[in-house]
Amino acid sequence: MATLTVEILSPEAALWRGTASALVARSSEGDFTILPQHTETVGDLVSSIVRVDTDEGAVAFAVHTGYFQVGPGDGEGVTLATVLAGVAERTTEIDVARAQVAKDAAEVQLAAASKGDQSDQTAQFTALAALERAELRLRAAAK
Amino acid sequence: MAGGQERVLRRRIKSVLSTRKITKAMELIAAAQIPRSLARIAANRPYRLGMQRLVLEAALGDPAGAAKLLAMPEHVDTALVLFLTGDRGLSGPYNNSSLRAGERLVAKLKGEGTKARLFCVGKKAAAYFRYRGLSVEEHFVGFVDRPTFANAQAIASRLVGPYLEGEAQQVLLVSARYLSAGSQVVQVQQLLPLVVPELPVDDGPKVLKGYTEFEPEVKKLLYFLAPHALESEIFSALLEGAASFHTSQQRAMAAATDNADELSQTLTRVMNRARQDSITTEIMEIVGGAEALRLGK
Repeated sequence: MATLTVEILSPEAALWRGTASALVARSSEGDFTILPQHTETVGDLVSSIVRVDTDEGAVAFAVHTGYFQVGPGDGEGVTLATVLAGVAERTTEIDVARAQVAKDAAEVQLAAASKGDQSDQTAQFTALAALERAELRLRAAAK
Repeated sequence: MAGGQERVLRRRIKSVLSTRKITKAMELIAAAQIPRSLARIAANRPYRLGMQRLVLEAALGDPAGAAKLLAMPEHVDTALVLFLTGDRGLSGPYNNSSLRAGERLVAKLKGEGTKARLFCVGKKAAAYFRYRGLSVEEHFVGFVDRPTFANAQAIASRLVGPYLEGEAQQVLLVSARYLSAGSQVVQVQQLLPLVVPELPVDDGPKVLKGYTEFEPEVKKLLYFLAPHALESEIFSALLEGAASFHTSQQRAMAAATDNADELSQTLTRVMNRARQDSITTEIMEIVGGAEALRLGK
């Protein structure tokens, strides 16, 4: 029987590994689903929620940009989907209070950076990125 | 006075023993850090291999584009050199072997007509180059004992800019790689242009055959992949550097503790002899005095 093995890897730790029925994520080209026996694919991931459907229900991760690779796994008929993310966390482990604080702080920073004639572009980007991360965490935790 | 010598020796033994206390404590602390830093290397390994596999895939998927992005230019005008050392000393050869290898590298580059722009991680590298009057473009300090991925990203972002803008044609890293508990070797590694890794066949999932689909198209992917692959390589170098530092420090401090033991033992023997000598002298004086009194009667 064809099966799908999913790995969620971050530089600090391997977050999750197991057998799944589907991997749902979003690349720069749009949403996609990986099923067993998916063709060999390499792609990027935008900041989004990655969902892994397993027999025991769905496991979700907040992924702040990354890459994925689909290829043959160990054994006959096994497809391996690897998600590589610089920063990723399981939605159940997100600290909502902290994310809310971070979101407020990022909004203040963004406002400060955009004010006046000499708007600081680097600061704007940094604040925007922080805001995006915090919002994704809040969205992921609310699911 | 013989008693004076004894007092001097006693003071020296005390100071040796208190130094020993410090080296022993440092040895134990370093030893406690080793398993933790090794566990972090192990946890990072799947990600690092995954990243390398991705680069390999992308390179196989678009040989022409990859050749342009990954190939060495014919002449390197400017190279960015990243040094990885510790923030602290008392760690045996860890800092100095990296720095010496680095200085040799800079001299070699100069001989080839390449200008080296220096970036340093760790206080030791910064101090070393400042003392030698070499200008260092940027220091990164304060995190080498327990590096995070965000640290690696900060370093990578400073290196990628000049490279992508064409100011530099090569990025090199000088750091200690952790091979085993007994061997840490300083290596010079090329970070950019990306080195297409050669993965051992039996290491992890199989490498694809180059008929992979790409999303977005491979040219775009390869371009964005380079900075991320750089981050990954720097992070794993930071982790291995930390492990090498702790291992090296543990070994150095164990040797220092042994030396202190030996020294205090030798000094104690000398002190005991001095005390015995002074007692003998005193007895001789008393006996001599008593004899003189007896004869005088």
